[in-house]
Amino acid sequence: MDAVKINQLHLDDLPWIIEYDESKCIQCGKCSAVCSFGAIKPVIENRRIHSNGLQKPSFNKVLVIKQQISLENYCRGCGMCSRVCPNGAIKAVRNFNDKYSVRYRAAKADSFKKGGRSNLNTEGRTLDKIKVGRISQMTDPSLDAARHQFELRTPFGRILSADKLNLHNENGEMKLSNQLPPNRWIYPVIMGDMSIGAVSWRMWEAMAIATAYLNEVMGLPVRMCTGEGGIPVRLLKSKYVKYMILQIASGHFGWNRIIQAMPDMTEDPAGILIKIGQGAKPGDGGLLMASKVAKYVQEIRGVPRADLLSPPTHQGLYSIEESVQKMFLSMNAAFNFKVPVAIKVAASVTSVSVYNNLLRDPYNIVGGFFIDGLAAGTGAAHEISLNHTGHPITSKLRDCYLAAVHQGRQGEIPLFAGGGLGQTGSFAADAFKLICLGANGVFTGRMLLEIAGCIGNDTGKCNACNSGLCPAGIATQDLCLTKRLDIDAVAQNIVNYFIATDIELKKLMGPVGNSTLPIGRSDALITVDKHVANRLDIQYVC
Amino acid sequence: MKNETVKIQTLTDNKRMSTQELLQLINSKIDEGYTDFDIEACGQHNIGGSSWACDKISSLNFKITNPGQRVGAMALPHTNIYVEGSAPADVGWLNSGATIVVNGDCGDTAAHCAAGGKIYVSGRVGTRSGALMKHDPKFELPEFWVLKNTGSFSFEFMGGGIGVICGWDCEGYESVLGSRSCVGMVGGTIYVRGNILNVADCVKIENLDDNDIEFLKNGLKDFLNKINHNDLYDKLINFEEWKKIIPLPSNVKEKRITASEFRKNNWIEGGIFGDFIHDDFKVFPMPAVGEGRVRIPKWNSENCIDCKVCLNNCPNSAIVENNKLYSACDDKCIGCGICAAVCPKKCWEMISNRCEIS
Repeated sequence: MDAVKINQLHLDDLPWIIEYDESKCIQCGKCSAVCSFGAIKPVIENRRIHSNGLQKPSFNKVLVIKQQISLENYCRGCGMCSRVCPNGAIKAVRNFNDKYSVRYRAAKADSFKKGGRSNLNTEGRTLDKIKVGRISQMTDPSLDAARHQFELRTPFGRILSADKLNLHNENGEMKLSNQLPPNRWIYPVIMGDMSIGAVSWRMWEAMAIATAYLNEVMGLPVRMCTGEGGIPVRLLKSKYVKYMILQIASGHFGWNRIIQAMPDMTEDPAGILIKIGQGAKPGDGGLLMASKVAKYVQEIRGVPRADLLSPPTHQGLYSIEESVQKMFLSMNAAFNFKVPVAIKVAASVTSVSVYNNLLRDPYNIVGGFFIDGLAAGTGAAHEISLNHTGHPITSKLRDCYLAAVHQGRQGEIPLFAGGGLGQTGSFAADAFKLICLGANGVFTGRMLLEIAGCIGNDTGKCNACNSGLCPAGIATQDLCLTKRLDIDAVAQNIVNYFIATDIELKKLMGPVGNSTLPIGRSDALITVDKHVANRLDIQYVC
Repeated sequence: MKNETVKIQTLTDNKRMSTQELLQLINSKIDEGYTDFDIEACGQHNIGGSSWACDKISSLNFKITNPGQRVGAMALPHTNIYVEGSAPADVGWLNSGATIVVNGDCGDTAAHCAAGGKIYVSGRVGTRSGALMKHDPKFELPEFWVLKNTGSFSFEFMGGGIGVICGWDCEGYESVLGSRSCVGMVGGTIYVRGNILNVADCVKIENLDDNDIEFLKNGLKDFLNKINHNDLYDKLINFEEWKKIIPLPSNVKEKRITASEFRKNNWIEGGIFGDFIHDDFKVFPMPAVGEGRVRIPKWNSENCIDCKVCLNNCPNSAIVENNKLYSACDDKCIGCGICAAVCPKKCWEMISNRCEIS
């Protein structure tokens, strides 16, 4: 007889419980076949045949689907089983008694890791407390979003103030004495920061295709950041590399191939992004679990199959000044000072100090400041970092912008904000509000995942990106799972989403009467929350 | 009814009659039975609008010089307005049946929201002309005839009626409809002679058919007669030079190449990972067979009693027995694990099929 011990893992410890209706099941096996986690299995169970109690009882054997009780093969609530069940006989239901992470730590003597998003949701979203409240109504004419020709491009790269332009008179003509820092006018939504490895090759390529499509077919100058996992040489050597922002992070993965390819590149990349930290897990370096370090990932990154932990800091950098000297200078030099170089930090109490310091950059080589807020996503993180570290994006972006305004230097180093945009379903509104608060643009990875078909959410569904078992084929390197992802559909959906976002941004620009991006137009924003109003210096309304 | 024409001078001794004074004077004269007016205006607005003869049958006739905005605004049927010289903005705004002739140019938004009557212009018209024209099927179709050209954004949100832009005296013009015209157009027809540039995506430009030509032949005669330019008829009836603009049906969307076509035709051949991975880009369904399975069954003969329970229970008839050796067909098996579950001797084991692509 199977006895149960109290310390054993129990069904009620798991985060999700499979609800299974035996009477509806036709034993087609689809649910167990598609479960990438191995969380359900067909098994034989005994059913007692009714007897009068005087005879020895007998049993029928029945085939049923049963949830596995295991620290490894546990249900993440992805719901693939219910998607394929022809009869609606099975579904995963959230377990409010969940003690999984406690059990995991107690059993493994290791920190609990997960992917996806922070799932505490304790703060509420500031962006949702803000509305676009300055709508032209018989004041300055509002612009007709459908008819008006808007200019949505934003600078990526250092902008010099007029007094630094160093103009001189040459035979009656005004001429520049010095070379201007490189600058690109790009679409205010940057894709990505998701590495080859963190996402499947199909997902990564679909984003790259969508980027190229948006530029070449739609004329939207959208740029994609590679993430810290290198970039395929074929793309480096193609004309499409001009749409790619190459990332260098503390692990420096993939740079050998980039450097080797430089002599053969026909186009400069769109930019370089030095990643110091990311919003989902500030203070932690990148983390790619061994299960996703496929052979091609090993090659591009130059590592064997192992958990890849990037250092939490750039090891050669000890100060802001040094980072300007070393990283910015080197990255500018790499492409002969023709490619803008920006930096990405996780939003932090100290972000303003960093930005202030960069604003004083004497070499004009700091081409952008990316701030990543705490609601950002990640391929893998320690849960403690994901849930308990970070800083909301909104006030930090605002602080940086106002710090520049106080020095009369806003716009000199473009600000880009990210982290949880679109979390409540309104990506364009989030982007617009951040732009009004001072961002030159925004960046997003999680929206792309959601567009691609990610089934996870911010309340604990799936979030198994770290496992390498992504049931949607997005955050996995397994053939059988990756090939579930339709590269063309993903590229198409990203393209369509950007087209929709473009329409929606204009629908907000029109009423506030801006033909160009309303960067810093905080007079367009209102809030019914007095604290938010005070903190962000926007109008309180009631 | 009184046959004599009411002549109104709106400027006497350097004193200008206000719009209110003029319109009330006109209406009081109409109430007295007058129907013909000759008005030397001084920029007064809304002349000729929302008035009707006291017997409601006779026509009202206005000859106007130097009007202000909104000549013939809200004008009813049986109203005839003739403007000698140009007229500023909003000629025939909300026109509901009047015939308005402007022997000169019109300002912006001529024929704006017109839903009836006919407006004839011998010169050019400004931006947003013909915008929001409509047609209520219980009433006559509105028409808007312009000898020369319109400004930008014309015929926006047009819902019905006919616009005719003859493109006369427009040599060298990039567009006789200015820029970005027809945005939001959902109904009606615009006939255009001359270059068209940059109209909205929601319309299509077509060649004329016989009905169009018939309509224009008759209409042009009438129009040119009204503006005293019968001499131009022969020059305007080369219908090869004409096009018509009509809205696309609302369910037709602009056709772009698909992302799939882009990948196949424009993208890097073999994909950007082609150095490492030979991906055919086919998509596995759920559940999948073959290499799309997450797990695959492996048979071990040791304890097999040849009971065929596995074979009988396989939902996809994937298991075959050959000389007491069992196997699962890759092209039928989805890797559900039922064989492993039902085997009384645990001969089937589900093993991971997770592998990398190469």
